[in-house]
Amino acid sequence: MNDTLMNSTTCVIDGFGPLPLVRPNSVADLGDLVRAAAASKSALYPVGGQTKTALGMPPTRPGRTIDLRGLAQVIDFPARDMTITVQAGITMQALRDILEKEKLRLPIDVPEADRATLGGVLATNTSGPRRYGYGTMRDYVIGISALNDEGNEFKAGGRVVKNVAGYDLCKLLVGSLGTLGIITQVTLKLRPLAEQQAVFGLGCESAQLETLLRCLHESRTRPVCLEVLNQAAARIAYTHANLAIPESPWTVLVGYEGNGDAVSWQVQQLVKEVGTDCSLEARVDFPAMPLCHALCEFAAAPHHAVTFKANLLPSEVAAFCVAADQGPLRPAVRAHAGSGIVYGNWSADLTKEQAGSILTTWRERARQGAVIVQRCPSDWKAGLNVWGPAPHDVALMHAIKAKFDPNRIFNPGRFVDGI
Amino acid sequence: MTVAADSLAERMRSIVGAGNVLSSPSDLLVYECDGFTIEKNKPDVVVFPNSTADIVAIVKACGELGVPFVPRGAGTSLAGGCLPVGGGVMIALTRMKRILEVNYRDRYAVIEPGVVNLWLTNHLKPQGFHFAPDPSSQGACTIGGNIATNSGGPHTLKYGVTVNHVLGVELVLPDGQVVRSGGPTEDNPGYDLTGVIVGSEGTFGVAAKAWVRITRNPEAYRTLLGVFETVDDATNTISDIIGAGIIPGALEMLDSLILEAVEAAFHFGFPLDAGAVLIMEVDGLDAGLDQDAERIVEIARKNKAREVRKANTEAERLLLWKSRKQAFGAVGRLAPSYCTQDGVVPRTKLPEVLRAIQRIGAKYNLRIANVFHAGDGNIHPILLFDERDAEQVKRVLAASNEILDECIRLGGSVTGEHGIGVEKIDFMPKLFAPEDLAMMMRLRSAFNPDDRCSPHKMLPTAGACIERSHAGRHAAM
Repeated sequence: MNDTLMNSTTCVIDGFGPLPLVRPNSVADLGDLVRAAAASKSALYPVGGQTKTALGMPPTRPGRTIDLRGLAQVIDFPARDMTITVQAGITMQALRDILEKEKLRLPIDVPEADRATLGGVLATNTSGPRRYGYGTMRDYVIGISALNDEGNEFKAGGRVVKNVAGYDLCKLLVGSLGTLGIITQVTLKLRPLAEQQAVFGLGCESAQLETLLRCLHESRTRPVCLEVLNQAAARIAYTHANLAIPESPWTVLVGYEGNGDAVSWQVQQLVKEVGTDCSLEARVDFPAMPLCHALCEFAAAPHHAVTFKANLLPSEVAAFCVAADQGPLRPAVRAHAGSGIVYGNWSADLTKEQAGSILTTWRERARQGAVIVQRCPSDWKAGLNVWGPAPHDVALMHAIKAKFDPNRIFNPGRFVDGI
Repeated sequence: MTVAADSLAERMRSIVGAGNVLSSPSDLLVYECDGFTIEKNKPDVVVFPNSTADIVAIVKACGELGVPFVPRGAGTSLAGGCLPVGGGVMIALTRMKRILEVNYRDRYAVIEPGVVNLWLTNHLKPQGFHFAPDPSSQGACTIGGNIATNSGGPHTLKYGVTVNHVLGVELVLPDGQVVRSGGPTEDNPGYDLTGVIVGSEGTFGVAAKAWVRITRNPEAYRTLLGVFETVDDATNTISDIIGAGIIPGALEMLDSLILEAVEAAFHFGFPLDAGAVLIMEVDGLDAGLDQDAERIVEIARKNKAREVRKANTEAERLLLWKSRKQAFGAVGRLAPSYCTQDGVVPRTKLPEVLRAIQRIGAKYNLRIANVFHAGDGNIHPILLFDERDAEQVKRVLAASNEILDECIRLGGSVTGEHGIGVEKIDFMPKLFAPEDLAMMMRLRSAFNPDDRCSPHKMLPTAGACIERSHAGRHAAM
């Protein structure tokens, strides 16, 4: 990320800094850092692989950046129970390697897995194409430990897959952008690796997009991902996968996973259901992998300087995508269509004024959901309202922040409505 | 209590009308407990709101009068979650039972809290959808109650629990403010308050409306019954099935004592001399199921199954599930009273915990039947007794506590789906450190600063122990 410069002792977070960078190697050391910050009334900015530090408002309060990659141990991996307890600083790639040895996985698509850490993925609630079939982080975190504002470790949940003892602080911390405490340890529920996978590429015109999505929605098959790419987005994904770029204005990618019989039946069934209406390309097993990988990495594509994310009803996705595609400076439009999530990506040619005007249009169109600025130059943020209008329940969010972090040590000011 | 019950009832009648308030001692008797019958306490008034506005007015009146209140659904919970500790107003949500909207294209429904779990599924059936959480009490329990306790059911192994199917909640806070968390869209900016409201056991406010996910029905099922000589063989089968990459829709275990009761009630043809029986069901697309079912049969045989039967018709399958879901009712044939426990252990520790249960049963001279969600390690030992015999009640409580202690020792939890309520408050300090409980208390105080909403539930406080003083327990003994 351009705006995050890092060397061994200092680091710039979203244009703010340089801030001293410290890397504790134990939870006890981390506790001392929190207590020191509390005593000096300074802020702490927890980071992992720094793949998503551009999310949210830039810091404004002096303090320290805490690199959590020193806390990366596996605490317990009872593979037959299909759970794992690990420290939060482990990279997603290291976690994946450990799980795959036991034919297990955490089915969350995370770009830049060699850098992104589990704690960072949790704090930012990162997800990808297969969220349609498997859900998001909140569905997999069954236990969590974090440091509170006094530097003491607290936990919630446990190590069993079904547990309703106590309030589910796991849900509260997932997606909290590090504003309620520093996540130190996580217990995850796991799933088996899929035996087989397949990806379909379907090409269509703008006018056909909603019909095609509705057809896929009603299909007898059960896709695990349902991705929509405009031509600019398809160019990025297919180039990354070393494949010929589709010619149609829209590409819909439908992914299947499961046992061999189930996947091959779905491949045949989908051909029956949509085969005559649009161009169609199926990739089964190994040939599917580069495209799956490209879809997962798409969010980290280097030529995206500005990214907006809209969360909509799935039925609104087609019209929203088509309108966004026709907007100024032709963004790369990409959607997790089954989940109602649409991203628009622009290159560095976009000006701040253009961005502001597109954002206004997007917010007017996103009636039920919201539009956030996921990435943009740091100095635009003050004028763009990156999180959008305050949500209905923002007063409660402030109340929770005030209870958990009364002195505003953790990532102050970076989250929704200045939290 | 600072207000006389009569004037409290009068105030409630002025809000919702006389037909929506109960205050005579005989009427209140029904509301003195839920499915956890060992502790009992009557509310001063039961009030039935018909709208969010009613709830707001009730809650505000309680605030003015300084009276505690507790929300209640159908009262099927098993841990005293809706026990009105210290009296006050019980807000019974069973008359708010409308399904407000169903959107099949976007796969959600908007419901009032008093909608019975099974009504929603029945409503969705013609379109091929259902509401995934399916607790055994689904014919009676309300979705509001499911949200409060984060209910599970036999199909949670594959489909998750209530929190995985709730998208948003409209909540009346204890001060009368109405807040909406989440909604029909995913990834709303900000904290996931829906995620903590679900499972808060009515201590954060009163849910007035919810947006819930609706799920497409599986296209087909393969339902198998494995008969095993020992519990160990059955649990090894479970681990091997999941280890083979198959996630069954359900994996339920029944032991010999429960088989006896179920067989007497439903005549399914269960073997009475087996050590354990497993109901194993895979669901999904028809195309992949035979492959999975064949592997399951193979795995069961490898683990010395005496026999593996297949439900050949839909009628057979439904009878099998009826036997399972009504197993608790069938237990009535074995003893006049029973107490169901709800522990969880890591799946691989099932043989160990079941041996411990057997040992504890012998120690306290109690018969204990087992029927449970084996796939998630969620045990439901059923302790048989006669509640008219105070000495037996004492033994049941002691044995229950020992079973739950064993679950903690094995790395598990004291509740998988029933909740803490009042029953298990004493276990919270065993599961959690003071620091953990303090953070949970901070969260509660953000929603419920005066603790007037469901006081003395879930978290142990110095005051709770004194005020509760186990009056109900003494009464029951």
